Amino acid sequence: MFNLIAQEAASNVDAGKAIALALGIGLGSLGAGIGIGNIFGSMIQAVARQPELKGELTGIQWLGFALTEAVVFYGLIGGLLAFVLV
Amino acid sequence: MRRLSALAIFLWLALPSLALASTSENPEEEFNPEHDFELGEWIPIHLGPIDLSINKAVAYLILGTICTIALGIFLMRARIGTKNEVGRRQAVGEMIYEIAQVQVAEQGLPHKAMGLWFPYVAALMLFIWTINMLGFIPLPLSTETFEIFGVELPTLAVYAATSSISVTLALALMTFVFTHVEGIRYNGVRKYFKSWIPDVPKAMYPLIIPLEILGQFMRLISLSVRLYANMLAGHMLILTFIGLIFVIGNLAIAVVAVPAAAAFYMFEVVIVVSIQAFIFAALSAIYIGSAIEPEH
Repeated sequence: MFNLIAQEAASNVDAGKAIALALGIGLGSLGAGIGIGNIFGSMIQAVARQPELKGELTGIQWLGFALTEAVVFYGLIGGLLAFVLV
Repeated sequence: MRRLSALAIFLWLALPSLALASTSENPEEEFNPEHDFELGEWIPIHLGPIDLSINKAVAYLILGTICTIALGIFLMRARIGTKNEVGRRQAVGEMIYEIAQVQVAEQGLPHKAMGLWFPYVAALMLFIWTINMLGFIPLPLSTETFEIFGVELPTLAVYAATSSISVTLALALMTFVFTHVEGIRYNGVRKYFKSWIPDVPKAMYPLIIPLEILGQFMRLISLSVRLYANMLAGHMLILTFIGLIFVIGNLAIAVVAVPAAAAFYMFEVVIVVSIQAFIFAALSAIYIGSAIEPEH
């Protein structure tokens, strides 16, 4: 009896961890997706208006891309930490 | 000749499949992509409480250092071309130099610090690019072995030294220390720490000062975790897609899994490797530059 309850509790904890990890990465990628879309959209608009600035803007664009994309990985690391530590 | 080399590269890249095929023979072994990121001691070196053992990441770092030096000498130091011609090697070398100067160093470093800190930033970019790139070439640096035609060979595995947080944290710590040393050296202790505080009413100080101090340490974390998590997630994605074949246990899934893994591999090699090297160097330049010449 107690064994069964303990087993169920353990599986519930595992399920909770899985949900936490998925939520962390999912919500992180939601935000990062919007952010990256914004960056590239603005880049296209800027280059369409002033094509001669493309060279200067490319560096800034990739800087913004990497800074935004990293947000997903903070979610991933947080989720993995929850998985390992809890 | 070109076709021959393309074939050789293809076979080299296809070789790890042999290793994967051989491990699938013992079904008790559970597939776990995290297993590839564990660091076992190869040559134990213990100095008191300090663990200086040579492990997988250290081996990759040593190889990466040798490759970076070789790349620099090969592209930029050797006598290249005849007379005034610009050879292909020199063109590549100049392209890398120009990216390091225009895109990375001039974004952040003020002119007076260029001579001292351009070499650091450029070396950082080339070094991180090389160790990231080495992470996507299958190398026989592994303790696992597999048998082919009766010969024991080490497994070809993909592993990047930068997918270990100790490596990226060490790189980020260098930038962190240099930032504050240079800030104090150029501005003096008092002026430098004063430049951290933005222009706000005095009543806001108890709120702002802890946040600004925390922000300095957040830079350290964001710089190291960005590179580490990018490389770890990239490798795990590829391994998980290949691993789907063994988890589901049906060879038909390979029709989907292998092209998906190959697509992620190309994405990582073409975009992520270079972007992460560029971003680490550019942010280092910006941090050092903003410490040398604070805005207010």
